[in-house]
Amino acid sequence: MSEAAIFTEGLSKSFGAQVAVSELSLKIQPGAVYGFLGRNGAGKTTTMRMLLGLVRPTKGSARVLGLDPARETELMRILERVGFVPQRKQLYGWATPAELVRINRGFFPRWSDNAAARLAQRLEIPMKTAFKKLSIGNQSKVALLLALAQEAEVLILDEPTAGLDPVMVDEILRTLIEDHVSQGRTIFVSSHHLGEVEQICDWVGILEEGRLLLESRLEEIRQEFRLVIASGEGLPVAQSSDVVSATSDGRFRRYVVAREAERFAAELRNQGATILEITPLGLRELFLHLVRKEDPCTPGNAGAKPEAVSSFS
Amino acid sequence: MYAWKCWRETRGRFIFLLTLFVAIALLVTLIPGLKERNGWWYFDRSEFTHDPALMARLVSLMVLSGLWGSGLLSAVFLGATSSGSEIEPGTIEYLWTRPRTRTSMTWTHWGVCLMEILIVAIVPAYLAAALLGTLTRNWNVPLLLVAPWMMVIVGLPMLGLTTLMTALRRSASGGLLYTAGVVSVYVIVRQIAIGPLHLQLPTLFAGPVVWLMNNHQPYAVAFPWGSFWRAVFLAAAFPLAAQYLLKRAEV
Repeated sequence: MSEAAIFTEGLSKSFGAQVAVSELSLKIQPGAVYGFLGRNGAGKTTTMRMLLGLVRPTKGSARVLGLDPARETELMRILERVGFVPQRKQLYGWATPAELVRINRGFFPRWSDNAAARLAQRLEIPMKTAFKKLSIGNQSKVALLLALAQEAEVLILDEPTAGLDPVMVDEILRTLIEDHVSQGRTIFVSSHHLGEVEQICDWVGILEEGRLLLESRLEEIRQEFRLVIASGEGLPVAQSSDVVSATSDGRFRRYVVAREAERFAAELRNQGATILEITPLGLRELFLHLVRKEDPCTPGNAGAKPEAVSSFS
Repeated sequence: MYAWKCWRETRGRFIFLLTLFVAIALLVTLIPGLKERNGWWYFDRSEFTHDPALMARLVSLMVLSGLWGSGLLSAVFLGATSSGSEIEPGTIEYLWTRPRTRTSMTWTHWGVCLMEILIVAIVPAYLAAALLGTLTRNWNVPLLLVAPWMMVIVGLPMLGLTTLMTALRRSASGGLLYTAGVVSVYVIVRQIAIGPLHLQLPTLFAGPVVWLMNNHQPYAVAFPWGSFWRAVFLAAAFPLAAQYLLKRAEV
């Protein structure tokens, strides 16, 4: 198997008593388009910053393209090969996009002026207006242009489409698919727009309070993941390896089951439950079931209390 | 490219300072020849030719009085643009994800600022020297030729100090404020030590400029090497400390 484009093992970061990322283990294969999902403050940005050497891990390790961002010489080689769009698209207010291109060009050996010109035209960026005078949407587009024209092997995009109108979002997603996904480049993208993630990603990881709740192929979610709603007394509150989440709503329990939902439902029936519904899950439904905090039952669910978990025998 | 970015970012301040000090230097050089008659100003060159050597010496001192702060002032204003100043506004995330080490960024910025400080110190003084030499036909103006280098020597510790303070405060305005604070505290403590406590303190690092301004013949009195080496030490130590801070900084 080829070396992972991004690999983390037990990666953790705390800011004082605040745990931002906890024991995060990821393995993103070259060519994957990985959607990194989570609520605000889940730890997505901190994770990305650790991969780029902006923040040092408290524990654990990371590798990007097989290189360790904690070592300066290796970090420089990572940065040459990785394009990054930060969450806060703050660039030099005095510079025009054309000047930013000029600054950026000298840093990257694979920089493409053709790609920069094409993107400027495609994304309708006013190249001669000072950055501080651009709208938030145009500022985001400039940040994207700078990352994409690097012709990077890995793109790390932290909410790249924030502040953009739907037409531009669509244009950017098409650019990513045509220019990067089709060429087998790796994209690690965080976004709150699950529709966008579904459009371009083949893998998703869902992070909550610094912990990875779920990592799966998007295709697998569509084909295998099911929501099982059951009613009855004394239903199990968790957990087999296939149940990724269980929430309770009065007499009803909602189980998110990763595979073999029918078998799981049969087991519930054997325990006297009435199965009300077995429905396929979209990414949005799955995300909401995993991260919302209403009466959680399983540790995979944010805010779950371990003492409330019992084994599903 | 980072050097170009540093230049692009500092050129406004650089051009302002250069224009300011060139104007001061030329104006002060010409002042002795400006006369007023019947409400009209005119220029009387003969003022410069009566006693050319004395005039050259006198005008040199006047020009240096106007220029002596050029090294310090440009060092402070340019130092506040170092990479530490980008942390608070948020552009640092962009900068530090470019494949250049933070060390190289610190020293590239330092190098660009050094060049600018040199130009701000040298050009006005040498222009004044050229003008004065032309007016007096006396080209023996060693004060104006040596002075810029002294100004740079005392400017560099201030460049380092501002770079360090900017890294500490993570913003340009914070860096300027802290630099002003450190300098003020130093001046007050020094005045207390010299005044009420009657201590004989050598200048920390401004000795070369003091030596130049107080000597009627440059090179006649022993050069304050102690102060010079302290200036060199501080000029290197402050940016090294800033480099250490920035290298460890998380954003």
